[in-house]
Amino acid sequence: MFKQHHVAPFTILALGSFLLSQTVLPVHAAALMGFEDSAMLMTEIGRYNQEWMLNYSPTLGHAIGVEQMRMSGKGERATTITGIHYTGLIKRWNMPAAQANLWFNGSAGQASGLYDGFAYTPGLQFDMESTRLYFLAKARMIRAPNMNYDTAAVQAGFSFYETGFDETQPWFVIEAKTMRNNDPGLQLTPALRLINKNYFLEFGVTNPWQGEGFAPRLNAMFVF
Amino acid sequence: MKKLLVTLMLSAITPAAFAVTTIKAEVNGMVCAFCAKGIEKKLNALPQKQAAFVDLKSRVVAFQLKDGQDVSNEAFSKVIQDAGYSVGKLERVNQTAEAIKAGIASAGKAGGK
Repeated sequence: MFKQHHVAPFTILALGSFLLSQTVLPVHAAALMGFEDSAMLMTEIGRYNQEWMLNYSPTLGHAIGVEQMRMSGKGERATTITGIHYTGLIKRWNMPAAQANLWFNGSAGQASGLYDGFAYTPGLQFDMESTRLYFLAKARMIRAPNMNYDTAAVQAGFSFYETGFDETQPWFVIEAKTMRNNDPGLQLTPALRLINKNYFLEFGVTNPWQGEGFAPRLNAMFVF
Repeated sequence: MKKLLVTLMLSAITPAAFAVTTIKAEVNGMVCAFCAKGIEKKLNALPQKQAAFVDLKSRVVAFQLKDGQDVSNEAFSKVIQDAGYSVGKLERVNQTAEAIKAGIASAGKAGGK
């Protein structure tokens, strides 16, 4: 899958499996922060959960900001978590035609709604991409008193063609995600992703893909 | 005779004095537009910049120096590293960044045929 990348596919699978086994979930897209001295606005709007985050990266590998997540379980009232968010790059591997990253991210703040109290959301993410292929595994705890929306997800995708720096590159990405106490237990979302140097837009539809459960999802990210 | 000597001296030093110097580097890990933008921002902040060019497809970064100014290879590599990437191959060429851009574009077109 990742020819010329000098990283054994087994290593990637093992790490992805490890992250999944930790049962956590992030809702973010590929990169979790912009470059040094940049701000990033990220949002996810879906039927099962919504999130937005604004962070600032003062130096390479660190970003701090605010995050708000809203989610609801099976027929439950929604809970909103509002907190201070931190993202840290634990390790980056630069290869001739690919890049891989291991990230930590999480918020600490207040839950309100169905569940109330102190909330915390530590997570790990591993991603690897070339200009044509993409893989991501992420896991995140989403906890508050009596609340557990822990999540895990894997994504894989490919770009239709390579583009220049100033052009928009289209990708097809499919995501499999689990979220505790949510329905459906396994959410599958095929999506079309557009990446430009300033923005990232992704539109997908989560299963079931018809009837009352029809659940479109929009992800967006802007770097400025 | 004196005039000839001056002309010869000028013709000898002129190409060197007015030669364009561009640092051309292949950057490892530069695979996305966000990556390229971060590198471009770092290069644009350097006072020695005459012109800069970042190509995502070939992962080439070209940094054309202002006349009479220089950035050492080590300092240039450090700028790339500070942006979060690493330098594979680095060379100094007597081409403008624009010429390198045109060369990569034409090579891409030829490869696409």
